[in-house]
Amino acid sequence: MAKRITIDPISRIEGHLRVDVEVENGSVSNSWASCTMWRGIETILKGRDPREAWLFTQRFCGVCTTVHAMASVRSVEDALKLEIPLNAQYIRNLILINHGLHDHIVHFYHLSALDFVDILKIPQADPAKTSALIEGLSPWTGNSKKMFLDAQNKVKAVAASGQLGIFTNGYWGHPAMKLSPEVNLLAFAHYIQALEYQRKSVQAVAILGSKSPHIQNLTVGGVANAINLDSLATLNMDRLFMIKKLMDEVKPFVDQVYLPDVCAIAGMYSDWFNYGAGVTNYLASPDLPLDGKNTKFDLVGGYIMDGNISSAHKFDGFRDKVFTDGVTEETKHAWYKGEEPLRPWKGETDPEYTDWSAEGKYSWVKAPRFQGKPMQVGPLAQILVGYALGDPLTRKHTDKALDLISTVAGHRIGVEKLQSTMGRHVARAIRASMLAELGEKHWTLLVNNIASGDVAIHNDPVFPSGEIEGVGVHEAPRGLLSHWTVIKNGKIDNYQAVVPSTWNASPRDAKGVRGPYEASLLHNPIADPTRPLEAIRTIHSFDPCMACACHTFDPQGNAVATVKVL
Amino acid sequence: MKKIKICGVGSVLLGDDAVGPYTARWIAANYEFGESVEVEDLGTPGLDLIAYMTGMDVLILIDSVDNKQPAGTVTVYDKALITSHRPAVRLDPHSPAITESIFVAELAGDGPDEVYLIGVTGEQLDIGAPLSESVQNAIPLVVEEALARVIEHGGSYRKRDVPLDPDIWWENARMEVVA
Repeated sequence: MAKRITIDPISRIEGHLRVDVEVENGSVSNSWASCTMWRGIETILKGRDPREAWLFTQRFCGVCTTVHAMASVRSVEDALKLEIPLNAQYIRNLILINHGLHDHIVHFYHLSALDFVDILKIPQADPAKTSALIEGLSPWTGNSKKMFLDAQNKVKAVAASGQLGIFTNGYWGHPAMKLSPEVNLLAFAHYIQALEYQRKSVQAVAILGSKSPHIQNLTVGGVANAINLDSLATLNMDRLFMIKKLMDEVKPFVDQVYLPDVCAIAGMYSDWFNYGAGVTNYLASPDLPLDGKNTKFDLVGGYIMDGNISSAHKFDGFRDKVFTDGVTEETKHAWYKGEEPLRPWKGETDPEYTDWSAEGKYSWVKAPRFQGKPMQVGPLAQILVGYALGDPLTRKHTDKALDLISTVAGHRIGVEKLQSTMGRHVARAIRASMLAELGEKHWTLLVNNIASGDVAIHNDPVFPSGEIEGVGVHEAPRGLLSHWTVIKNGKIDNYQAVVPSTWNASPRDAKGVRGPYEASLLHNPIADPTRPLEAIRTIHSFDPCMACACHTFDPQGNAVATVKVL
Repeated sequence: MKKIKICGVGSVLLGDDAVGPYTARWIAANYEFGESVEVEDLGTPGLDLIAYMTGMDVLILIDSVDNKQPAGTVTVYDKALITSHRPAVRLDPHSPAITESIFVAELAGDGPDEVYLIGVTGEQLDIGAPLSESVQNAIPLVVEEALARVIEHGGSYRKRDVPLDPDIWWENARMEVVA
């Protein structure tokens, strides 16, 4: 008899993702992913000025601010067929690169590493052994015995206080936790160091975007960063070198700490290359354009069907007809009216809430489909598409990571094994090392272009009468993001955002086919149904983000401090 | 001198959840502070809040709260109370994370010594709605509380002779005229 587990530990206002699994003989036999909060935020844009849409979309989510701003200006520019100056393209690319680095570092260390790292084993570690373990494998200067001892003392202090704080609800001592005390200490020490490096990437975004977390420098048509190398108030040499210094500090952290840590943990947990493949159709968009017309890119995009990772179809640009013709959204199992698959430009957002029903409707997320199929998006999709298309940058970084993992595991882990829970973590780290390398390139492109005398940053948009359609595409940290806009007589008539977590957290479609989260949970082992760590590992590997909603703080208790009633 | 940061948090697109960003912008537009005090609208940063609290001695958060009080009630929570709220296992790691952010920043050794959360009980979270009258009326008290904490911790401020535009852009009207 299957046992149903609902993982919805987060209260009404704090969480938006619920997962239900049925467990039979220690393994997941059925699964459902639900979003518990309505995301009809796009309706706010109807009737607004397309030039200010990005300010609103930037507030869809507090973590993915930049990516929604970027997709929005791209969608309006696409509708207008508006080219942007080279400087604007490079400045935007540098923002996207630094935002991506921040996001990937935080995801691994602060949001998912503790699914594999047992904090409460750290007090037993020998810091000298930890230091010896890593010596010779990484030139990182922050791997001294003293540094590991300091990190260990932090854990001992927390444990001794009797208040576990941030560690209160971890699955410590779970049978699926396998690392030695020394390796647990290594990962935790880098968790602390990662806080500093993710902040450097935020600082780089803030310098380029004038502010962070909400950048201020975008325009439909380019950017608002006035360029004058000799003026204090503009993007000048001082600021450019501040950005370079920050990127020069983050790149070694990615190459010498983040990527090797992921490879080491992956090698030690190599059984996790056997779980969590789920939907093996992959979709990725090209990104980091190299010209103002968006015809050449540093990240390649395309799609792969049915796990056939030796061959991918390539997308030529943001608005590849195969892509725009292929995307639909369905609502058979989502709390909306209507059943027919709709193209996003014709999309409707007409809520109709009923109870959670395993056979009926159970999510606020629509089911996006490409050519009628569910698709997995994210760094794994990008890496597999790039690898299949023979992209040299993707191949170089992927092969390097696979070699390291294979050495640690003691047997060969090939690229096909990346189609798994662990593969998604590895692909994210590979992508980060690619972004760190591309950061240097795009900084140099920007500086050289300015040095050639080009200081253009913006082309004025002109809105025609009548109706135009645009799509703004961005390969965001969580995967392919697309904003679809219809502009009528210069104002927004329809706006639909198809976000990465919608692709991955999709409910079943009209044919009953599961979305990627749901499919990836099938056959996961569950050693202890009261502590479903394995299911959490698989869900976290996607880097879920449904927080495009509200923020209200729930104190869960009575105020003991000052209380004033107006 | 203690470093003090006033942060408005919340979604500006969801009715009364905008009270944090709204008030932070209003404070920055109406008051000038000494060098050690910063005021920011942070939106809904989740765990990214860590990056903005690091290095601060005093963190003053302004947020909407769900505490079963009448709408517009202003409640000040201190650090002990906020951190007694035990973090849950998260499926979705980007949800509100004030408590976790404080814990993680402390672990790194550079978290704030003092944290205050000035909460306003909301009335509605409707998409695109302006602040409710009850919440709007609570803002002077929120401002008074925030400024009192600044003074208590050795910061300084003065009212601007000519206020700046707080730029509450999300309350701008939709386009009426067809271009």
